[in-house]
Formats: sequence, structure tokens, C-alpha cells
Amino acid sequence: MLALIYFIVLAVIAVGSAVCVLLSRHPLYGALSLVVSMVSLAGIYGLLGSPFLGVVQIMVYAGAIMMLLTFVIMVLNGARDSHTPMFDKVSLFVIPAVIVLAGLVGFALVRSPIAFDAATIRGSVAITSKTLFDVAQTGPGYFVLFEVLGVLLLSAMGAAVLLAKKRLGSVDSEKTEDKH
Amino acid sequence: MDIIESKTWIEWAITIAKFAFCFVPVLYILLLIPMERRGAGFMQDRQGPNRSYIKIPYFGKLRAFGYVQNMCDGTKLFFKEMFAPAGVNKLLYYVAPAIPFAIVFLSPCVIPWFGPMIFDWGGETVSIAGSIIDSDVGVLLLFGFSSISAYGAMLAGWASKSKYSFLGALRTSSMTISYEVCLGLSLMGILLLAGSFNLTDIVQWQENHVWGIVAQPVAFFCFLIASIAETGRAPFDVAEGEPELVAGYHTEYGAMQFGLFYMGEYSHICINSFLIATLFLGGYAVPFVTTETLQENMGVSLAVLCGVLAFIALAFLHMIYRYSRKLKKTNLTHRFEVLKEYKLYKIVAWVATVAFIALGIAAWFFYNPENFVVNGLAVGSLATAVGTALIHLLVLVAKSLIFCWVWIWVRWTLPRFRYDHVMHLGWKIILNIALINLVVTAVIAKLLGGN
Repeated sequence: MLALIYFIVLAVIAVGSAVCVLLSRHPLYGALSLVVSMVSLAGIYGLLGSPFLGVVQIMVYAGAIMMLLTFVIMVLNGARDSHTPMFDKVSLFVIPAVIVLAGLVGFALVRSPIAFDAATIRGSVAITSKTLFDVAQTGPGYFVLFEVLGVLLLSAMGAAVLLAKKRLGSVDSEKTEDKH
Repeated sequence: MDIIESKTWIEWAITIAKFAFCFVPVLYILLLIPMERRGAGFMQDRQGPNRSYIKIPYFGKLRAFGYVQNMCDGTKLFFKEMFAPAGVNKLLYYVAPAIPFAIVFLSPCVIPWFGPMIFDWGGETVSIAGSIIDSDVGVLLLFGFSSISAYGAMLAGWASKSKYSFLGALRTSSMTISYEVCLGLSLMGILLLAGSFNLTDIVQWQENHVWGIVAQPVAFFCFLIASIAETGRAPFDVAEGEPELVAGYHTEYGAMQFGLFYMGEYSHICINSFLIATLFLGGYAVPFVTTETLQENMGVSLAVLCGVLAFIALAFLHMIYRYSRKLKKTNLTHRFEVLKEYKLYKIVAWVATVAFIALGIAAWFFYNPENFVVNGLAVGSLATAVGTALIHLLVLVAKSLIFCWVWIWVRWTLPRFRYDHVMHLGWKIILNIALINLVVTAVIAKLLGGN
């Protein structure tokens, strides 16, 4: 009962702030609503018996990634008080697609047999680490996958740095600098 | 209700009483601000602010070593008008100072203030954790909170619509992001050794093996530097350089809104020094004595505790007598007033000394609660558990006070860094040292046959 009340409160906050992300016309407000949405999602993860996932959500998404995002919005002049229009031509395609997707996901969720039980622990630190790294139990599958993902992220970061550097030194950017 | 009946009333009482620990950072602010100002005075060979007084009968002007000044400043901030400059973003301008200050009340929840209390209550063994939230993910939760509190500075800088505030906010947030990486990485070594994120487990590992500062000396210094940088004080105060950025992200703030930022900074120091004490100085563990020994000789331990407190009172008395002797020789006009004030301190300190010694003797002879063992756990009475918790709490506070002083010491002795130097130090030096330390720790732990 108590868990249900918590869940309803958190779910209303999460969905409400997610809608705010779509409706806010200022990029910074959008980013802030996304932070609120992520924090309440972390609360729901905790309620579902996986506090580790919830805390990682707060640390990585709400803390680090959204911080970087707001940083970029501020630096790239997105933080000026220029409001973008809420709807344009692309919305004609995006809005029906979102509605259809939401309907599909809702249908699948309603039909699937999910039992909600707040008492069971599904994702504590020990369980998560065992599932990922216990070679004797699950074979090397997740272990190798985890390492490969790490290398992939590293290479993506390297590529991003290279791209950014190329842009800085290219003829185009120098021309625009001259104009200013 | 099932949830109420699941615990006995004594468990509920202690569990609810533990929430009082949320206010520890606020109490530390009261302690730290005079400590910082008088400490700065001490380092610069001046008096520091100590002239405000309360007039009381017979003893005259009570100044309480600068604490009255603190009260005056707080009152001034409280009663000043809240003022927003034209053109600010009203909502975010008012919300921003509240974010770091709200986090202050959440952060103490995961720190273990005393060891797990295990005692016998009406034939049942009751066990109560030392932290408010005894979670598997303790340290991570703390880092999550501290990364969210950086939004306060960021939003304040943006909402003020001032160039200085904005640049200050950008600097603060970029520095927070970079040093959080160092903070997390340097922490990993001790987590690896203890094999848990839970702070109580880490402290228990340190109690049974060695303190973190001995096992991980390099990580300790990386962590100390990174956490000093994270609080954004000198020498890392790039966000508020007076010649370049006025006061950084809180340039446009005044009254209690500025006060909230100010208090947020000091309580950040408090939380960080508690964290360092917990991770690297054995937390609540009493040096060289295990909790079992402590509980077996409860009366003696309480007597030793009272002895230490009596010693502190005597040291205070020594200080007061030296001051009075010096003052009598001078011919300052206000010396008789000061001597009258000192008379009060002398009375209080002598009473405290006598009381502590009497309490210690009483505890030594008359306080010997019985202990018994149930299922391999030492189980004592409620009195033993409370006594142990008290000793643990005082030990933790003493350890954290050492680090609070380190913060003030560093601030008033080192010159400040330039912004690019700060980034260089963070990303190119501390991060690499922390990484190498982690790898070396992992290899050694594996070779020695850890988990």
C-alpha cells in the first residue's frame, strides 16, 4: 500500500516533467525538467528493489550527463531568451509517431503479466555484479560484452575529439571567424 | 498497521531519533564560521572579529571568543531585505540557492554515526544500524547528492543574467564535473579492499584491518585535494576571483539568499570532512581498541572518555589563565572588563573539570553492565549500546574536526590557482595518479588473495 502511494507520486512527477520537456519552449527549462524526470525515475527504480540502478541513474544521468548538457546549452548561446516555435512541419510526422508508439507500449504493458512486489530485491550491488561478472555462473558472455562496450565508448569519445578538432582547423571555420 | 508492529517501541524511538543527525551540518556551520574567521586572524597575526558582546549581570560583556559576532552576522542576514535585480529570471533566481542547502539535509543520511547498536530488549535481540539509511549503495548515494547540488551554482549564475555570475557558474560547474571524476576514482581503491559500497562495512573493514590512510596513502591525498577543490574554496576558488569575476555565481545575491550559498559551502566542508574521516581515518572506530573490548569494559571506557573531556577542560583553563596573566601585565584600558569576563569562563571550566572527573570515577567503579553472547554476536544491555554509540559519535566528531581545520589551514596559507592550472592539476595529474593507484591496488589485492 505504502509502496503504491510512493509509486503514484513518483510516476506523476516523472510523466509530468517528461511532458514538460516536450512542451517547454526554452532549452534550459527542457533540460531541467528532464533532470526532475530522471530523479523520479531513480526513485521508481529504488521502489522496484534495485537501489543500485537508481543511484547510478542519479549519479550518471541526472548528475553528470545532464550537467554537461546544461553546460553545452549555456555555452552554445541556447540559453538566450529566444524561444523556439512549439510546432513546425516536422511535428506532423513526429506527433502521430509518438502517439502510436505510446499506444503500442501501453498495450504491451497491459497485456504482459507483470507482478509488482516491492519487497523482493532485484538489483542490489551484489546481484548486479554477480550477473555481470561471475564467469562461473553466466559464462563469459556479459563480461566480454561489458569490456567491448567500454572500448566502444572510448573510441566514440576519441572520434568526437577528432571531429571537433578538424572543425576547428578547417577552412570553413576560419572563414567564419574572419567575417566576425 | 503491520509496519508499526514490526518493531518494538525502543527501535522506533532510536530510529526516529537518528533523524536528528540531519542537522549536524547546520550545527557545524555555527562552529565553522567563527573557527574560520578566528583561524584566519590567527594565521595573519591579528585578533579576528571578537568585539560583539552580550551584556550580562556581574560578569559584564560576554563575547564568547567571537561566537556572539557569528550570531550578529546571522541576524543581519536574516532581517535584510530579499532583493532581486531587474531582468533576472525570477523563478530560478529564487529556487537556485535552495538546491545546495536542501542537499545538506540529505547528505548526512548515509554516514554511519556509530557502529551497529546490538542489544537485548525483553528477550529479543535488537539491531539498529548507525546510519539513517543503511543502504548497499551508501557512498554512491552521497556522490549522487553532491553532483546534484552543483545545479544550484549553475542555475544561480544563469538566472542572475549577469556576465560575472554566468562565467563564475560555468567555471564552478566545469570544475565540479572534473574533480568529481578524481574523487570517485581515488575512492575506488578503498572500496576494492573493503569489497562494499556500504560505509558501515568500510568502517568495519578498517576496524579489523588497518585504517584507510595506511592502506591507501596516495588515494588519501588525491581524495583530500579533490574534495577541497569540490567545495570551491581557496586555493581552488577560480569561480570567485575578485579581480576577474567579483564573487562568481552569487554576485547578484544578497541577504539570506547569499546566506544559503554561504551555509551550503560550509556544510559541504562538514560533509566532506566526515566522509574523509569515515573512509580514511576509520570513521567511528576508536583507535587501537575494538568495539568488543570497548563493550566488555564499558565502565573503564566511559571513565577514559570523561578523562579526555576533563583534560580538554583543563587545557582551556590553562589558556584562560595564561591570557589573564598576560593581560594583567599590560595597561590596556579595557583589561578589567576582559578579566571580569574571563572569571565566568574560569568558573564554567572548573565546574566542568570537576564534573567530568566525578563522572569518570563513578563510571569506573559503579557502571559495569553485563554482556552476553547470542549466536556469536556480543549482545549487551541498552545502556552498553548507548554508551558505545556515544563514544563512537564523539570519536567521529573529533576526527572530522581535524579535517575541518585542514580546510581552513589550506585556505589561508596557499595562494590561489589560475583556472588552467586547476584543470591541468585535475585532469593530467590527480586523475592519472588515482588511476595508477587503482590498478596497483587491484593487482596487489589479487596477488594477496583478496576477493
